This record gives sequence, C-alpha cells and structure tokens, in this order.
Amino acid sequence: MSGTTRPDEIDLLIGKMKTAAAPLREVLREIHARHAAVDEGQVADYIPELAKADPHWFGLALATSDGQVIEVGDCRQLFTIQSISKPFVFGLALEDHGLEHVLSKVGVEPTGEAFNAIVLDEASNRPFNPMVNAGAIATADLIKGRDFPERVTRLLAMFSRFCGRDVYIDNAVFMSERLTGHRNRAIGHLMLNFGMVGERIADSLELYFQQCSVLVNCRDLAVMGATLANGGVNPLTGQRAIEQSYVKYLLSIMLSCGMYDYAGEWAYRVGIPSKSGVGGGIVGVIPNQFGIGTFSPPLDRKGNSVRGILACQELSHRFGLHAFESGFSGPTLRDLLAPPRQGDLR
Amino acid sequence: MAKIISTHSFRGGTGKSNTTANLAVLAARAGHRVGIIDTDIQSPGIHVLFRLGPGDFRYSLNDYLWGKCRIEEAACDVTTRSIGQVDEDADRPRLFVIPSSLKTGEIARILREGYDVGRLNDGLQDLLKRLRLDYLFIDTHPGVNEETLLSIAVSDLLILIVRPDQQDFQGTAVTVELARKLDVPEMFLLINKVPTGMDVVALGEQVQSMYQAEVAAILPLCNEMVRTASSDIFCNRYPDHPLTNELAAVTARIVGANP
Repeated sequence: MSGTTRPDEIDLLIGKMKTAAAPLREVLREIHARHAAVDEGQVADYIPELAKADPHWFGLALATSDGQVIEVGDCRQLFTIQSISKPFVFGLALEDHGLEHVLSKVGVEPTGEAFNAIVLDEASNRPFNPMVNAGAIATADLIKGRDFPERVTRLLAMFSRFCGRDVYIDNAVFMSERLTGHRNRAIGHLMLNFGMVGERIADSLELYFQQCSVLVNCRDLAVMGATLANGGVNPLTGQRAIEQSYVKYLLSIMLSCGMYDYAGEWAYRVGIPSKSGVGGGIVGVIPNQFGIGTFSPPLDRKGNSVRGILACQELSHRFGLHAFESGFSGPTLRDLLAPPRQGDLR
Repeated sequence: MAKIISTHSFRGGTGKSNTTANLAVLAARAGHRVGIIDTDIQSPGIHVLFRLGPGDFRYSLNDYLWGKCRIEEAACDVTTRSIGQVDEDADRPRLFVIPSSLKTGEIARILREGYDVGRLNDGLQDLLKRLRLDYLFIDTHPGVNEETLLSIAVSDLLILIVRPDQQDFQGTAVTVELARKLDVPEMFLLINKVPTGMDVVALGEQVQSMYQAEVAAILPLCNEMVRTASSDIFCNRYPDHPLTNELAAVTARIVGANP
C-alpha cells in the first residue's frame, strides 16, 4: 500500500475485508452446499448452445447497495442473460419515451399464458406485459437510435452500466436465436399487423435476439440487482444506470411478472422482485439493501432455475426478505454482514 | 469456541514467525488442538521452523486458493516432531502447520493473478471446523496487504510485534489504525528483541501510550535465539530459558481466557 492511497480507497478495502470475513459468507456457503446437492431439472435445449451448459454449475452471489459483493460457487462462469434482459430493456424504453408512451405500447398486467404465447390484449392490442416475449419485443422496438448499430450500442452500454464492466454478445447463441426465432417473428408480425410496432420490426427482432444473448455471470446479476436496490446507481462504479424514478416500475413488474407462469406463487411465497432466464440465472432485488444473483442451468417445468428458486426461497424465509414482511424478529442479512464484534478493543 | 489469533508486524525481521511458532507450540503443549497457517504467500517461512521441506507436504495454501484441494489436505500434522511423545490417536494435544508454497513459480502466480480473499476466509473457517481446532494462529506477511487485512478482520486477537526501533514504531501505527477500523475485538503488542541495558519499564510505557494498546510482554534479544537461527522451535530447545517463560506467560494469556 503506497503513501498515496486515498482515504476512500482504504475504506473500500476495509469494507471488502469485512465482507470477506462476514458470517453471512458462511451462511451463503451453507445454503449453496445444501442446494448444490439437488439433482433436479433440465438444462434448456431449444438451441444447442444452451444445452452445452454443465448441470452442476451453481453460483450464488449477493451485492449490497453500498458495493460489497459476496460470491459463492460458480460466480464467474459466463452464460446468456436471456429473459433477465427484459426488465432492464424496459427501463431503457422508459428513459427513451417516458411512462405513458411506453404503457400505450405494452401493458403491465400479469398473464397466466406461457411466456412465448402469441396473444395480445384484445381491447388495446397491447402485449400483456414486458416480461412475456411479445411485450419484450414491443419494448425492444421502442429503443431509440439513429440506426440498428446505434441501438445495439445503446443497449450494450446500458447493460454495461448495470454490470459495472463492458459486456458482450455471445454470437453463437445470437445466431441460433435468430435462426430458430420463428415464433418470435410471428409475434412481431402480429403486432405489426395491429400497428403496435413500426416498420423497423425486423431490426427490433434482431435487437431482441441480441439482448437475450448478452453474456453475464452470477456476480453481474447480483451487481445489477444491487444497482436497482441502490436507486439506479451502480454501487461499484458510482455510475447511474437508470433514472431513480423508474426503478420502482421495474421492480413492480418483476414482482408481478418476473418468474414466468410461476410469478403469482413467487410473489406470494418469496416476495422478492426477481427475473429469471432460461440460461439459468435469476436476479433478485431487496430495495435499499441487496441484489441477489443465482446461476444454475437446470430448469423446472416453468423455466426457472431449480437451485436458484430454492436458494432465493431459503434466503427470503430465513432473513425476512419478503416485500410484505413486517415485524420480522430473526436476524437480517445486514446483521450477518456487519455483526457487533464481542470484546473490548484495548 | 475456537479462537483465531493473528500475529503481525509492519516490517520484516521482528521475529514474528519465530514468536508465532513458539506460541503455537506452547498452546499445543497446554493440551489444545492448534493450527498455524502461513498466509505470508510472498515470503513463506513458518515451514522452516518445523523443518518441513517441499517433500513433506503434497498441498499448500496456494493449492487450496486455486481450488486444487480442500484446505485440510494442506495441513501437516507436526505434533510428534514439535511436541514429542504424544499418543498417535490422542485428540489433544495436536499441532498442524498449513504451509504456503515454496515454489517460485507458484509464488509468482499468486502475486500475478491474485485470488479471492473470501475463499481464504472460507479456508480458515473450514480449518477450524474440519480439524476441530481450539486455536488457529495466522502468520501474516509483514506490512499491509490483502491477506493481512483479511487475517485481522477475522481474528479474535491480534498480536502486533515491534522492535524498539523508530521505523517499527511508525509503521505499527498504521496497522493499529487499520485494526481499529476492522473492529478487531482484542489486540496487544509484544516488544521483541530488546537489547540488554534498555529501560524496559519506560519502553513499555512509551509504546503503550503511543498506540493506546496494551504491551503484553517485553522480550529480550538473546543470543540463544540468534544462534538457533530459525532451525528449531526455541521453547523446545531451551525449555527453561527466561524467554521461554515469557512466551509461556503470553500463551497462558491467550489460552487462559478461552480454556
């Protein structure tokens, strides 16, 4: 350590060490070890690239809204973000157009239909919400830019701000998605028929396939969650990733629609605004406190990561993380992060 | 509850590794299960005191940090060689050393690539559990680096070793400040290598007021220690030496409060 170290750098280092030494680490390791033993679910195989994932991969990461990160297991393994991209692109659309215009193109109602259903709201012709494919394609269509490359650049820049590092597209996954994306093209053209998207729908579909193919790791998911938990400012970089006033609109849509057709039960049982993807990731947000990232490729029949669900469920129950928990008397995650240390400092 | 004790000095040459090894041996002799881990990855040294060569251990701390082994697989049982007559099956006393790698390439790799400090803490916690330790001594790298800060952050007790030397005094102030920021529950100082003829009472008072931290012992610079030249554990070779008695008193303080 040189004499030029700034005081805030020392505080960051002290914080890092306190986090590495925190009892919460042991708790996460224990939760990780228990669910790592679970041997259920199927790795997504609708495109060959996803089927290559190792079913044993399992990462669990937690990032605080003040920038401390705890990682257990396979937290640096890259995978494609898939549907987890949806709320974040929705956020970018809100920034580009404001709430009312976006809501005129896509609703915010939960739907019991499958995520890839070819169905629009009959009265308004809008997709039900931005978490189903139809809504996500309508949302991608809203992303501004002079031309297609600029729209892609803006999209990647947004994800990079959330992750606190430059992110890239997995080209093999992108190519597979666009080669096999007939159903999504059908959805796009249905919306074009109703005038809900513009003539550039072909580009917007490409953009949608790109957004699904962004490579992230489990730590990134925790940091993205922590950025939302921190009012839209990435706690690692101090950079704003989204306007503060829009954060709540992302979180409420994640709570009501984030977990495919398990969303209702998730909101009821777990109560953490979350979004899952078929790559095996889940991002969760505890406002003002934490972002949670989990990654494990085997999925249940509804398309959610089996181990990820179990880990989030356990965290929620043990530490009172349900959005509507009140009067919780057990230890909180914060207690375990910075416990009062016994003894007198002489 | 197991207790983690870190020994640290701001500069090299204070006798830190020697003191740590002696305290650990004395704690084991007092009937405990004790571990010493060498987190001085850049300049490992504790193995020398226990006469462990590269052929005596298959895995080191480095291997654990790279995920090549479990931490307990890097532990060498040195009970017999450092304490002597102990029943093979006896649960206590027991002394384990977890060395750092002595291979230049492996030292260079850790310095180049770094590692996850969280994983180091996982290893320390696993050692306590899996070897069922009563005490774990951490021999840290001189100065301040990540291993040192983590060691302090997880410690129940921090022992700072200083020589009566202005450079030691100034540097130690940095460590004391960091230790306080890391909320270490207990901390004391050992003044080591004090030449004969020095006013030890005045020295003790000076150091104590300098850091607002207790001086637990003032240890003399002695020829026998110099002659041992880190080839052996001092308290084994000189069981009746006044320095051994002083070290035993410090050990009693560490284990006495936590039988």
